[in-house]
Amino acid sequence: MKDTLQLPEFELTSKYVLENNGFKKVKIDSSIIISHLNSDLSTLLSQYTTIFIKSYGNGTLATPSFRGTTAQHTQVEWNGIDLNSPMLGQADLSLIPVSQFDGLEILFGSAGISRTSGAFGGVINLVTNPDWNNRLNILASQSIGSFDTYTTNINIITGTSSFQSHSKFNYASALNNYPYYNDFLMETVNQHNASYKQFGFSEEVFWKLKDRHLFSAKLRYNYDDRNLPPTTTKYEANNVEKNVQSSLMAVVEYKYVKKDFNLSVRSAFANQKMHYTLDSTYDDHHQYYSWINKIKFTYIGIKKLAIKPGIDFTHDEVNSEEYEGIKTRNTTSVFTEINYTPWEKLKTSLVLREDLIDGKFLPLVPAVGVDLTPFQKLNLGLNLNLSRNYKYPTLNDLFWNLYGNPDLRPETNYSIEIGSVFNFLSKSKKFYIELNLTGYYSWIYDMITWSPVDGNSNLWKPENIDEILARGIESGINIKWEIVKFKFKFDNNYSFCKSTYEKASSEYDNKIGKQLIYIPVNTLNSTLTLERWKFYLIYNFSFTGERFTGKDNLTVMPGYSLSNIIFGKNLSLNNFILSLQLQVNNLFNLDYQSVASRPMPGINYAFTIKLSFDKPNRE
Amino acid sequence: MVVINLFLVNNIRYKIYSLPFLISLIALSLFSVSCSKDPIREKAVAPENPDTTQNPTSYDEGIFVINEGNYNWGNASITFIDNRTNATVQDLYQIANQHNLGDVAESMKICNGFGFIVVNNSNRIEVVNLKNFKSVKSITGLQSPRFLELIDSTKAYVTNLQKDISILNLQSNTITGTIPIYGWTESLIRYDKYMLVTSIGKYSEPSSKRKAQILVIDTQTDKIVDSIQTGKEPIGLVIDKKQKVWVLCSGGFDNFEAPSLMRINPELRMVEKVFTFPTITEVPSRLCINNTGDTLYFLKGGVYQTPVTMTGLPTNPLISADGRLFYGLAIHPKTGCIYVSDSKDYVQNGTVYQYSPTAKFIKQYTAGRIPGGFCFTSKNAK
Repeated sequence: MKDTLQLPEFELTSKYVLENNGFKKVKIDSSIIISHLNSDLSTLLSQYTTIFIKSYGNGTLATPSFRGTTAQHTQVEWNGIDLNSPMLGQADLSLIPVSQFDGLEILFGSAGISRTSGAFGGVINLVTNPDWNNRLNILASQSIGSFDTYTTNINIITGTSSFQSHSKFNYASALNNYPYYNDFLMETVNQHNASYKQFGFSEEVFWKLKDRHLFSAKLRYNYDDRNLPPTTTKYEANNVEKNVQSSLMAVVEYKYVKKDFNLSVRSAFANQKMHYTLDSTYDDHHQYYSWINKIKFTYIGIKKLAIKPGIDFTHDEVNSEEYEGIKTRNTTSVFTEINYTPWEKLKTSLVLREDLIDGKFLPLVPAVGVDLTPFQKLNLGLNLNLSRNYKYPTLNDLFWNLYGNPDLRPETNYSIEIGSVFNFLSKSKKFYIELNLTGYYSWIYDMITWSPVDGNSNLWKPENIDEILARGIESGINIKWEIVKFKFKFDNNYSFCKSTYEKASSEYDNKIGKQLIYIPVNTLNSTLTLERWKFYLIYNFSFTGERFTGKDNLTVMPGYSLSNIIFGKNLSLNNFILSLQLQVNNLFNLDYQSVASRPMPGINYAFTIKLSFDKPNRE
Repeated sequence: MVVINLFLVNNIRYKIYSLPFLISLIALSLFSVSCSKDPIREKAVAPENPDTTQNPTSYDEGIFVINEGNYNWGNASITFIDNRTNATVQDLYQIANQHNLGDVAESMKICNGFGFIVVNNSNRIEVVNLKNFKSVKSITGLQSPRFLELIDSTKAYVTNLQKDISILNLQSNTITGTIPIYGWTESLIRYDKYMLVTSIGKYSEPSSKRKAQILVIDTQTDKIVDSIQTGKEPIGLVIDKKQKVWVLCSGGFDNFEAPSLMRINPELRMVEKVFTFPTITEVPSRLCINNTGDTLYFLKGGVYQTPVTMTGLPTNPLISADGRLFYGLAIHPKTGCIYVSDSKDYVQNGTVYQYSPTAKFIKQYTAGRIPGGFCFTSKNAK
């Protein structure tokens, strides 16, 4: 497994289970998460990973894309439960506050097949975990930022060695009226109709019985009331465009753990309501319910072998004013993961998944992975994986009034990935370096694209028209070094991704061999962390390469680099820790747009004061 | 950063460890330096065939192609096709004014040596001097403007998607008043002292609730004096040599009814003939008439042609699309040549094709994003 750094404070849900061999998974440092309590998930991912976040402005729609695929090929999960809307097939990352999870794991490409089908790009999983040593941990944090941005977080985590309760509350509001140069109006203006209010609450209880049984129940509620800001060219219209969204998720889980097997049973209910309005012109209500059930069994009783079969059942129900009547979808997914270790240095895995959607079988989704650690003394790992994957169309693709296309076929993906990871820990344990390099080659057939209907320029429909070839390289250098009580950490990620159209719809189509729109070829980010005398400094640099805005690659958004700094100090007294933190975003005040005509803010600041009380079990 | 660097180098013991740091830092600084501080804005990639961008000496005799641009992308543009040299110039407005035109540029009209570009979603009419294409005025205060029609050299009407017809003073370039309308008005054409305007109904309502009609407006009093009921979504309006008005109705965006072509007697304000299209989902658009006023053209996949004396609708296209997405159509007022645009999949730059009146391919021209409208210079007017 190529995790970035194995931090002791980072506990994984899958602690009880062996990981699959040969697939890439990366974790985000918990220290990064804790210093971004006032942010949303899109900020975190755009600054610390090479996943491209297509951002429509500060505090508005932000969707992820990795390995040259779209947001619909990325599954976002909360503790393994799907957060993607069954209507859109994607998640808006600006709606997910960082304070609602303690860990973040990213499964690249085929690694996602162990969780779901259709995530050609990968899976982003937000994790919350119990710490059985905790007795009482209270955190109160208030952040004040530019453009009247206020974030309040209160977490109360308490329990015993067999019971833990996590209560988390967050409230954020922003006027978000940042100034920017509007080059359509040719003057500096303040963004308007961009304010938002976000409220979130989560309660999780974990109960452990005789180290055998683990029960947990989780409730998560989010309410988001936001205005949708205008583009630069529509600034003067003074429209009031608004989306109010509330989502509720309840999960119950039972885990039975024995020496050579364990069983996990989960059932989740999700409900999301959306209310979109545009002045008095539009007033649209959408609502969906999902009932998600997952059963997974792990057996490691046979030597060198781990067998993990399971079954998932999901019922989605959408009630939208844009659909004709209520639409439902039932997805049953039967899967098994087999990990076989024929030899100490060679580990293999096979993942098979069979989806049954509304009574129709999708073709088998298989993935094979191999991990090789050839040397005794050198910590070098090589991995390889191959997979075939299918993505079923979204409910909007199928049923949106007038435009939906019920005849859509699933998208198909073939992918191969080769990776290597090397790490070295000095004898003194003061220096650690990890290098990783992964190459992938992935072919998507029948990709669904909304396009004008042949011969009727007035009508748009989703159709299985595109063929995409995505190939690229991901590399990382992560260094951790302690010297004279200075703690350094230097994390670098680079991604090269060529994702091109391979099929033209006619001889007049100029997109063959051209890069997909809004997918940068190059992305890079570097984070330098310094710690000493309870001061900490995080310097983050990210570069996003040019993104084409036309499929003919004749128009382009130039690449840009952003720098952000976080500087803070922790003061501790007995069990109390007071943290003061200053955050400067867009340090060099770059005037940029990530998406054309969607202005982004210049330099901006956030000051956070955080008080925590921590009483662990001292036995 | 520099401090750290020195610190690392001075500790020989750690020199080997510091190497990756150094390399990374250098790479990082290089990246930081190499990135320009210019604002990050959408731009055109330098063209591969520079000869297509040669500047014509003037915008006297040619065609302005109005490239709509994508909704909310801020990428509308104007392409000029010079009729004397056959050269094209792209991004006229952007180059002359150093800022973009906004988005969904719907139409353009010429009056008194000025061009009036109607930009729908950005809610503006840009007035440009045709000598240099520099903007002299941005007219605001509209309601999602669609088309502009001149009454005389001092006054024009502008139709709007949201509501009302705007009255435009062409001397001061200001909106001097409105004619209240509930909902969307589209095409307009002058007849005698009247302006005929197609009225579609409220934009956000389904066709069943919309009232489709042609409004007859007295241009001296700016009052609606009469109306003529039409098929749903009347989008095209032309007048033939016998002073009969032809209306193209799409049947509704929600396929409410079959599309139709109607002939109206503007004197009696009565529908004289109705030709109904056979297929509800094959929607015609862009009704045009040639310079002699005897032949109608429209798009329905391909380009269709029919004499005004027809007894039925044409069944075969004059020019087939053959994989192209025909989107804009215009007939050259002087030569009668057919100009039809291919907007591809709306996410690529389009192409304009020129055909002779007998549908012989003459030439093709590169255009911008979603070429939809055409505007012929005054010297080209008949």
